[in-house]
Amino acid sequence: MSKLACTNLFTRFQQRLSSAGGESHQVASLTAAAELIAAHSALMAGNIIVPPDFGLHSQWGVILPHLSGQGITIHEAGSPASVADAPAGLSGAELAIAETGSVLLAENALEARVVSMLTLTHFVLVSESKLIPMLDDAAAILLQLARAGSDQRHYMSFVTGPSRTADIERTLTIGVQGPKVLCVIIVADQKEAKL
Amino acid sequence: MTDNYSATPPQQVVSEEKANPTNEHQPFAERLAVALKDENLHSALTRFAPSWRASRKDIFATEEADYGSDFSFEHMRATLRTAKDYAIEHQPELIAQFRANAEAAGAVIFEARTAEDANRYIAELCQRKGIDLVVKSKTMASEETELNSYLEARGIKAVETDLGEWVAQLSHERPSHMVMPIIHKTRQQVGAVLSESLGREISREDVAEQVAVIRVEHRKSFLNAGMGISGANALMAESGTVMIMTNEGNGRLVTSLPLVHVVIAGYDKLIGTFADAMTQLRLLARSATAQQMTSYTTFITGPATPGKEMHIVLLDNGRSEMRADPRFKDALRCIRCAACSNICPSYQQVGGHAFGYIYSGAIGLVVTPFHHGLEADAGPQSLCVSCNACETVCPVEIPLPSLILDVRSRVVEAKGLPWLKKVIFGAMARPRLFDSAVRFFSFAQFPATRGGRYISTRSLGVLGKVPGVRPIAQLARWRSLPAFAPRPLRDRVKGQLTSASMDRTATASPEVPNLTVCYFAGCMIDRLFPEMGEAAINVMKACGVQVTFPQKQNCCGLIALNSGDRADCVVMARQTITTLEQALKESKADYIVGATTSCVVTLTQDYIRLFEDLQQQGWLQRARALSEKVMDFASFVDRVLLANGAMLPVRKSGGEDVIVTYHDSCQSINCLGLRSEARHIIQEVLGLELREMPQSDVCCGFGGSTSIEHGDVSELIMNNKLNNAESTGATVLVSDNPGCLMHLSGGVDASGRKIRVMHIAQLIAERLA
Repeated sequence: MSKLACTNLFTRFQQRLSSAGGESHQVASLTAAAELIAAHSALMAGNIIVPPDFGLHSQWGVILPHLSGQGITIHEAGSPASVADAPAGLSGAELAIAETGSVLLAENALEARVVSMLTLTHFVLVSESKLIPMLDDAAAILLQLARAGSDQRHYMSFVTGPSRTADIERTLTIGVQGPKVLCVIIVADQKEAKL
Repeated sequence: MTDNYSATPPQQVVSEEKANPTNEHQPFAERLAVALKDENLHSALTRFAPSWRASRKDIFATEEADYGSDFSFEHMRATLRTAKDYAIEHQPELIAQFRANAEAAGAVIFEARTAEDANRYIAELCQRKGIDLVVKSKTMASEETELNSYLEARGIKAVETDLGEWVAQLSHERPSHMVMPIIHKTRQQVGAVLSESLGREISREDVAEQVAVIRVEHRKSFLNAGMGISGANALMAESGTVMIMTNEGNGRLVTSLPLVHVVIAGYDKLIGTFADAMTQLRLLARSATAQQMTSYTTFITGPATPGKEMHIVLLDNGRSEMRADPRFKDALRCIRCAACSNICPSYQQVGGHAFGYIYSGAIGLVVTPFHHGLEADAGPQSLCVSCNACETVCPVEIPLPSLILDVRSRVVEAKGLPWLKKVIFGAMARPRLFDSAVRFFSFAQFPATRGGRYISTRSLGVLGKVPGVRPIAQLARWRSLPAFAPRPLRDRVKGQLTSASMDRTATASPEVPNLTVCYFAGCMIDRLFPEMGEAAINVMKACGVQVTFPQKQNCCGLIALNSGDRADCVVMARQTITTLEQALKESKADYIVGATTSCVVTLTQDYIRLFEDLQQQGWLQRARALSEKVMDFASFVDRVLLANGAMLPVRKSGGEDVIVTYHDSCQSINCLGLRSEARHIIQEVLGLELREMPQSDVCCGFGGSTSIEHGDVSELIMNNKLNNAESTGATVLVSDNPGCLMHLSGGVDASGRKIRVMHIAQLIAERLA
């Protein structure tokens, strides 16, 4: 994907996510992502919850030492009750969709999922190469992930902004059951980052 | 089964349920009376409707501007319709495919023929596992089966976790809207309900505090419940995946935290592929709440973790019967976006507790007979004003207005027509009897009209207090009723339009071919407003058109059709087709023109559908051939005469004190797609100032006999229209459909408003040089 197309995609993604009430950033490396997270107001208490074995994740694992280096304490997610209303959580997404400003989370483990369901601020990492233009582009990938096989993803979600309701007098209120803040960080791919 | 609830005798729970019956169990008349008195409901819906219309339009326009015409509303809805039609057509294969894939992923499938089957399966599952607390995310299918009361009667507590659904549940009410369940409630009412149920004071003003309280309360339920019950927005056959859309995030918690997840979904949720589902996502979020996307869209394919169970209850409950019906199978395309509620003028006045049964809005009127019986729909369906607006916003192109009329005719078949309608339609179907009756009444009405054009409170005077006349006086209180014209149009034009040589004036431009028009009056113009017909004829003549008037023309049958009386409508349809075929043959007319767009729609659209349904091929072909010739007055003037270079010999406005506002009649804009024609004539040809009123394309409240059966609903809609018209400062309110004009001018007469109400033909005719 050309650099220009990519920049345009991010602009669209950011615009759409922003109208859904979400934040987004584009960074060159995981180091930069860690700095961004550490400086976020949700990290006031200096804690962040991550899915179990996040440190072993081939792509995102290396962010943990960077976060620790910024003075952040990392907790691996446990039971839902232990995660409920934790100030900050971090996970990785499979895709980001420019058309709608959505990210695709695809985790089978409950402990990994509750990070995105019960924390107050949810940070999501996505590779720049996984930022795709349209929902239609996501359809084929969704099918592939949902299909039976050793890596079948039983539980996937498009997340588009924070939890919201307008049930009472159509007054928009953020943070009903899920996070109150969603912060998506698009990270340049390692290869490109090296160049 | 655990001890703490087996100790509660089921009877006691049942009687509690009876003590707090949910609202749809009240008779329709009571629900309607409550709704009409509810100021909050009225003001909430009146504020909501225009803002929804505007944001919906914007969001579809944005998508089209960004991605091109393949992403226009019209294109996307045609795509989704095709996908849903495929799924309905191939339902058995899709069920088999879905079942195989979902079972391979570890889910358990149960096919429930009835609501009772579905409820029993879920209750027994709870009992087998000793579950006494269930959390639910919004599912209309479980509303349909009345699952909550079924579970509660068996000692199982079901907590709704969608915010609005929960407040409705605490209030012992049904959702009044499929997407926004408590749109009828104020924050003060929500605060009161929360305070009472939680036994402590919760803010009546601060919505953020109310939401925060609900978050904390529900968190406990999520962590303690043994089962989560959700609905589904789509079931993808190609992978056995369940798709669920929510904004609050409760759907993900319901489906993740309890160890047992039960999905309850109708067969209509089956769809072939993820690709199809993406189109549904776009259309649903944008149609429902004008969002690009809902906050959370979840795709679940079997249980995700060891020890987790996933059960999918596929619900029939009347859907097979719908699928077997060549017309009603279209309603299985519904994706429950509630756009048809949001756009509906009657819904806007009375809300979903009256306008529907458990499913509300236009689609509710269509599906209720299949899920809850015809009787449950008898009252609600009578509120439809046949404005056809719902069909224009339906994201899967369901022909809602005509399906509602089908339901109405089924109600009429089952219960019979009211005696007065029976007498009237029976007479209308006999042209000579009808003619004599109208001529008799045009004299006999004198005591009520005192020679005026209206039967009004003033003209009735003390007569209005006579018992037999009182119902008429009641109707005329807010809208004066039209009087029969002393001489119908057919008499006024007799002997004037038959000669082929006369009236060919020199005003026709050389490039305009000599045209002959057969004029179809419609009863309203013929019998009540002949001056509108004369105006239309004079305008056409002034352009050099030769106009003929078939004296044998009678009512087209629309009024019977709209009242569910198909039998009399068929008689009138055949008469009209025969008469007009004959007239075309004799006069060699190029067009049949009518200045009543409602009748034009009947001639061009309703007849075809009627004879398709009756499978009368011969009549169907004749109806199709006739429809090719029929055109409404404004289109004929604008698109045939003016577009071909004809000159309307009119005085251009010179500092005249006339300011026009235009009402788009429902049949004109929603069925015939007219918008620019009359406006072009008013502004460009007549040179008059046109000031657009807010919501010019919203119904005036006439809706045929609905304005008599539900006068109070009709009055509210009419007042909105007249207020909107007056807000422009216009001096003249113009439209092209006599039904609206009758209704609105009656309203003006009764209220003493000042605005003049006239047909576009009259506006032009007044300015003929």
